[in-house]
Amino acid sequence: MKKKKTFNRRDFIQSSIRASLVVSVGGIGGLALKNGTKKDWVWQIDPFECNQCGRCATECVRNPSAVKCVHAYDLCGYCDLCGGYFIPGAVKLDTGAENQLCPTAALIRKFIEEPYFEYEIDEDLCIGCAKCVKGCTSFGNGSLHLQIRHDLCRNCNECSIARVCPSKAIKRVPADTPYLIKGTFTRTTDS
Amino acid sequence: MSPKISGKTIVFVLFIAAVLTVLVWWIVKNPVSELTESLPGTDNRVSRADSILEVINIGEHFERFGEAPPALSETWPRFRGIDFDNISKSPVKLIDGFNGRAPEILWSYELGEGHAGPAIYKGTVYLLDYDEGKRADMLRCFSLADGKEIWRRWYRINVKRNHGMSRTVPAVTKDFILTIGPRSHVMCLDREDGDFLWGLDIEKDYETEIPFWYTGQCPLIDKGKAILATGGKAMIIAVDCATGEILWETPNELGWKMSHSSIMPYTFGGRRMYVYSAVGGVMGIAADGPDEGTVLWSSSEWNHSVVAPSPVCLPDGKIFLTAGYGAGSMVLQLGVENGKYTAEVLQEYKPKDGLACEQQTPLVFENHLLAVLPKDAATLRNQLVCVHPDDCTNIIWSSGKTSRFGLGPYMIADGKIFLLSDDGTLTIIRPSVRKYLQMDQVKIFDGHDAWAPLAIADGYLVLRDSKRMVCIKIKA
Repeated sequence: MKKKKTFNRRDFIQSSIRASLVVSVGGIGGLALKNGTKKDWVWQIDPFECNQCGRCATECVRNPSAVKCVHAYDLCGYCDLCGGYFIPGAVKLDTGAENQLCPTAALIRKFIEEPYFEYEIDEDLCIGCAKCVKGCTSFGNGSLHLQIRHDLCRNCNECSIARVCPSKAIKRVPADTPYLIKGTFTRTTDS
Repeated sequence: MSPKISGKTIVFVLFIAAVLTVLVWWIVKNPVSELTESLPGTDNRVSRADSILEVINIGEHFERFGEAPPALSETWPRFRGIDFDNISKSPVKLIDGFNGRAPEILWSYELGEGHAGPAIYKGTVYLLDYDEGKRADMLRCFSLADGKEIWRRWYRINVKRNHGMSRTVPAVTKDFILTIGPRSHVMCLDREDGDFLWGLDIEKDYETEIPFWYTGQCPLIDKGKAILATGGKAMIIAVDCATGEILWETPNELGWKMSHSSIMPYTFGGRRMYVYSAVGGVMGIAADGPDEGTVLWSSSEWNHSVVAPSPVCLPDGKIFLTAGYGAGSMVLQLGVENGKYTAEVLQEYKPKDGLACEQQTPLVFENHLLAVLPKDAATLRNQLVCVHPDDCTNIIWSSGKTSRFGLGPYMIADGKIFLLSDDGTLTIIRPSVRKYLQMDQVKIFDGHDAWAPLAIADGYLVLRDSKRMVCIKIKA
């Protein structure tokens, strides 16, 4: 007569331990796999959606703002009369403070050769107010545009500018391509 | 016995010393020592004078490729056409739409980068191109019907790319062709065979400051005289087209500068005059009579650093002035009493507040003004709008946020507006003073900065973007 196998307490504990081990190993493996494939996301400004409202300068938790103006040199016209540098109707096209649009003189104008001028941004002075971006977009090629600098941004995932951006220009972008620079980044049908 | 110094005294002395230290620091410290002044001249700009040293032999080269093309009947002889209104009076019926596909491109030419527009004279197209290979201003003559190049006349000149190079429309009459190049070199030729008649270096002869992005003024031939706004040593000059003799010069006492705007003939108060919107102000110059070439009226109320659109002169004495780069617009009311002219400002506003243009000149349709607003016109940016000159801030209609255009040209022909967008999209619109009526739209070519004025004759429409000129037939 075959002896009937009984499932005693010891068997139960052994089975439970084995099951726990399998679940733990599987879980750790799953988490590792997930972490290996998961994309990190960061905030960035879509320059084609930005309407230069100026809130990036005032709403960022960093002071001065982590938003800075960047310059796509390949798009710039290198004009003498630069809509991003000069106030509309500037009395003279020179570097006098009264003619400059930038409130902190963060846009540096340099003569190259007639008739070209180069415009460079001093990021230490830039407060992200977008005044130059508005001028450049309205009257020029739109080469000046705003970007969130990730060496300054806290990446807290609760961007205070995104909450108030009237054109919803601040978006989540993959951390491995954290910048939307004009020239390399062009407007897509859904942007 | 030495006096005893109490602890209170020590504290008091230390307190006074601290206060004095802070006071001295406060007085001596310069709170703005770390600030840098933004002063003129830190861009290290040098004088523009070097360019004048270049010797330019205007009209020095000529090449002929074929015989005169078969004559057609119609002309578009200059900027804004025969009547300076950008309206074709041709009886030729034109298409109402494109039936879902772009019209066939009859012929096409690669050009030097720029915005120069063509003029048409009875089957012949004239265009002042800039040849980037030869580095030359080049007047090119084509057959309108088949696009064959007939001849070209050119002269070497160094022009650097600066939002394009060429940007003017020749003036053509039965006898003459008159051109102005990017650096204000005027060339007058015999129309039929392209023989060189005379040339004028405005920059050198009149010490003119060439406008930003080069000369945009389109020349005018009026009764055999070349009428040119020079700025510099004179404001406006008249030159005999046949001989090149300077007939008169209007003194430039206020030191106004040449703009991109073109001179518009106008008759008001019984006088023919030339109206010019300069950098510095606007003026009316007597176009005939014993005082020809003298200033009838002027106003420095209209003063902007970049002025591209031309004045729109209305029959009742109103003159609509507009400019880009934030300038906005102004409406002047001319008056005349005992032969004395006055110019009163009726309206002045920013581009967000009413009709304004950056490059193109508005159309007049049924005593209303139609134009595409610039990018700084707030919610109506890049829309075609209609206003009445009595109140240019009251937008009667706009094309809507789904029908935005760019800086491209527009004209009326066969009772339809033909409007070219920057990217080469052509839109046909039924002009109206009540509402926007779009008839059709199609992309003619993959374009970039298609800003040059259009030209139409015999049912052929010639258009271009910054690098290419094409001809399409839009005859119905």
